[in-house]
Amino acid sequence: MPAQAVTTAKLPGMKPILKIEDLVVEYRTREFGQRVTVAVNRLSLEVFPGEVFGFLGPNGAGKTTTVNVLLGFVPVTRGAAYIFNVNVRDPIARQRIGYLPELTYYYKFLTAEELLRFYARIFRIPRAEIGPRIDEVLKLVGLDTARKRPIKTYSKGMQQRIGLAQALINEPDLLILDEPTSGLDPIGRMNVREMIQRLKSKGKTVFFSSHELGEVETVCDRVAILHQGELKATGRVSDLVEKYKCNLEQAFLKVIGYEPGHE
Amino acid sequence: MNNALSVASIVIKELYRRKDFYVLFVLTAIITLLMGSLHFFNDDRIVRYLKEICLLLIWISALAIAVGTSARQIPAERENRTIFPLLAKPITRGQLIAGKFLGCWLACGLALIVFYFFFGVISVSREHQWAAASFFQALWLHWWMLGVVVAMTLLGSVVFAAPSSNGTICLLIILSILLLGRHLNKVAVQLAEPMSGVVSAVYFAVPHLELFDVRDLVVHNWDPINWLICVGATLYAAAYAIFFLFATWLVFRRQLVLRWQPGCSPGTRVGRAAALSPIACWAS
Amino acid sequence: MGNSRQLFANHFFTKADVYFHSGYYPSVFDQAIGGAPHITAAKDAAAETDAEHGREQSEEAGFLGPPRDWIDRFSRNFYPSRHSHLDRPGEAREILPWLRIAADLDPHKVETYTVAAYWLREHLNRVDEAEQLLREGWRANPDSYEILFELGRVFDENRHDSQRARNVWELALGKWRQRSARNGEPDDFVLEQILTRLAQLEEREGHWEKALSYLEKLEAVSPKPEAIQQQINDLKKKVVSAPPANRSGAQQTGKP
Ligand SMILES: Nc1ncnc2c1ncn2[C@@H]1O[C@H](COP(=O)(O)OP(=O)(O)O)[C@@H](O)[C@H]1O
Ligand SMILES: [Mg+2]
Repeated sequence: MPAQAVTTAKLPGMKPILKIEDLVVEYRTREFGQRVTVAVNRLSLEVFPGEVFGFLGPNGAGKTTTVNVLLGFVPVTRGAAYIFNVNVRDPIARQRIGYLPELTYYYKFLTAEELLRFYARIFRIPRAEIGPRIDEVLKLVGLDTARKRPIKTYSKGMQQRIGLAQALINEPDLLILDEPTSGLDPIGRMNVREMIQRLKSKGKTVFFSSHELGEVETVCDRVAILHQGELKATGRVSDLVEKYKCNLEQAFLKVIGYEPGHE
Repeated sequence: MNNALSVASIVIKELYRRKDFYVLFVLTAIITLLMGSLHFFNDDRIVRYLKEICLLLIWISALAIAVGTSARQIPAERENRTIFPLLAKPITRGQLIAGKFLGCWLACGLALIVFYFFFGVISVSREHQWAAASFFQALWLHWWMLGVVVAMTLLGSVVFAAPSSNGTICLLIILSILLLGRHLNKVAVQLAEPMSGVVSAVYFAVPHLELFDVRDLVVHNWDPINWLICVGATLYAAAYAIFFLFATWLVFRRQLVLRWQPGCSPGTRVGRAAALSPIACWAS
Repeated sequence: MGNSRQLFANHFFTKADVYFHSGYYPSVFDQAIGGAPHITAAKDAAAETDAEHGREQSEEAGFLGPPRDWIDRFSRNFYPSRHSHLDRPGEAREILPWLRIAADLDPHKVETYTVAAYWLREHLNRVDEAEQLLREGWRANPDSYEILFELGRVFDENRHDSQRARNVWELALGKWRQRSARNGEPDDFVLEQILTRLAQLEEREGHWEKALSYLEKLEAVSPKPEAIQQQINDLKKKVVSAPPANRSGAQQTGKP
């Protein structure tokens, strides 16, 4: 089924920072009778510099799979994905990305500072710059006071914040956040939203997935709605709301074909 | 290399922040001191039995540390999903493997230095002399043997799905090589043909870890080994370690990062984890 | 349980022998391949004379045989592959812990006591410990003539107490007779040694008659009866030329 594009291109002549072309991802299982799961089916999208892009869909829609393709964790079955015009198979593509995985734990026996120093070294940030950079991101995510504590003593919210900190350590131009607010309390969510806003104001591009729509409306420039691996809609939040004549949540439900009372 | 060293430093930090090493060291020290406090026929210059016991404990501890640490590395990265943020950085899988290897191997080396220092103190305090050359040869050869062990276990950890069974399998293989490796050729002579050939092939194929076990020479104060022979043994160990690392890389580079992905319903996870082919091809 | 203790005791007893050879010792695989069988235990060491030692050495020298392949050849650099004995002064002490453990595990293994006592007494100059150990062994094995024989040697050779040496050796002789009567298969090796020692002791003490009677018994079991006959003849000559006071042997006198 082709995507119901609401608005397609942005400013003419602008080059996308992230581009997905006709992407198909299949998981092979050995289970009898169910050998292939199509997690993503013919997905195409583009994200432009400076945008905050919401990648929406219910659980199991294929969001994490798509993100994993962008980072080279999952092989593509067909199609291709590019970041900064480089195919994602190439590790070079990852130099200017910040990535926050869905539900991740970090090396528990390290302190926040040690963890960030480790990642900074992998990015080959010059030695002299590492210290100030760590100070900066820790302040940004509000972990300044806990920087010398081992991560295993952190609360869930703090773990999410150290995740954000590591995603920012290389001053990335593109942030890919997989469900950055899942499992957080309302205050935590608000913090994350603020952080995204701040990044946007610094001119960064943010691509993040979510299944919670409340937060999306306020921060996203554009959204895409994915359902069962297929792109159902993409465009500005305001355009979607206009088209379906209701709020984003109802639009979302309509798009994925969920009729209240029919379930 | 830089990336590999960074990964290695994390592995080393982990070793000294975990309790395993300290527990093993304290156990070794306590048992050795207890055995040393025994008196046999009022002769307090008896030393060789004590050297043997201490070295035996050191060998057991070192194997436990080497296999335990390296069997855990990659499965733990997957289980705790630390592999996601790591591989999202500009680091290749080869560098990750090399770093894990270096980390485990250097960590084993540090542990060995502590253990052998203790051994040195014990034997000097009894014998009032120090066979420095033999001592260093024992330490050196032991360390290189652990290099092969670490590389082998890393390979096991990407081939076998369950980390605990990998540890057990590796330990069993290593112990059989240590105990039987030297004698397989004699066994082969006594067997009938199809089996004899198989045993011979195994004899020539396995890394002869028992070569590096020079405990008897140290315990009984034999002369040090010819240094050229030591160099040969080092090269032999290096060849096997490189071979195992290369095999690890070949397998690992084609593997999915996770055998199952997070974010799908918990009910299906277990089934899928068991059902998914452990080796999914990158290129399809 | 009892069985496993014996197994372990045997293991540690062998370990003492391994130590005696500085780790140069055939494994079960070497033994199975039919290389020259090694001495079973350090027991032989107890009776080891220099001549025997030489024989043993040549027999053992090649249990490894020529290298079978390059791995075999290479690996011989990494473990003891030359024959060697603990023969520097005092070195033999290194075998003691294993014998002590073997004795603790299986107090009825007589060899452990005799071997340990031999080394303590002969090479380590620890006569008290040897005597103590033998007494301990005797308590656990009251019928062992082997232990009594060794104990007699402590009294005779180290303590120079002929009276007590005679007592235990005579007791040993009695125990030997009891056991041979029971088993039917007499252990002539130890009997020979007891008789030899007794004959020497009585001769030294000037009890010619007794000495002669031991020698005659010895001639009957000895593999070299001619040599014993020679000794008997020599002794008889001595008796003829000696002053009559020494002839009876009933009266305890000093050394001739
Ligand atoms: N490793 C895997 N093996 C097989 N199927 C998978 C695997 N990971 C995810 N899937 C399936 O792919 C689909 C998309 O999953 P996912 O991308 O995790 O969804 P989302 O992140 O949107 O919740 C789901 O049907 C899920 O069951
Ligand atoms: Mg997900």
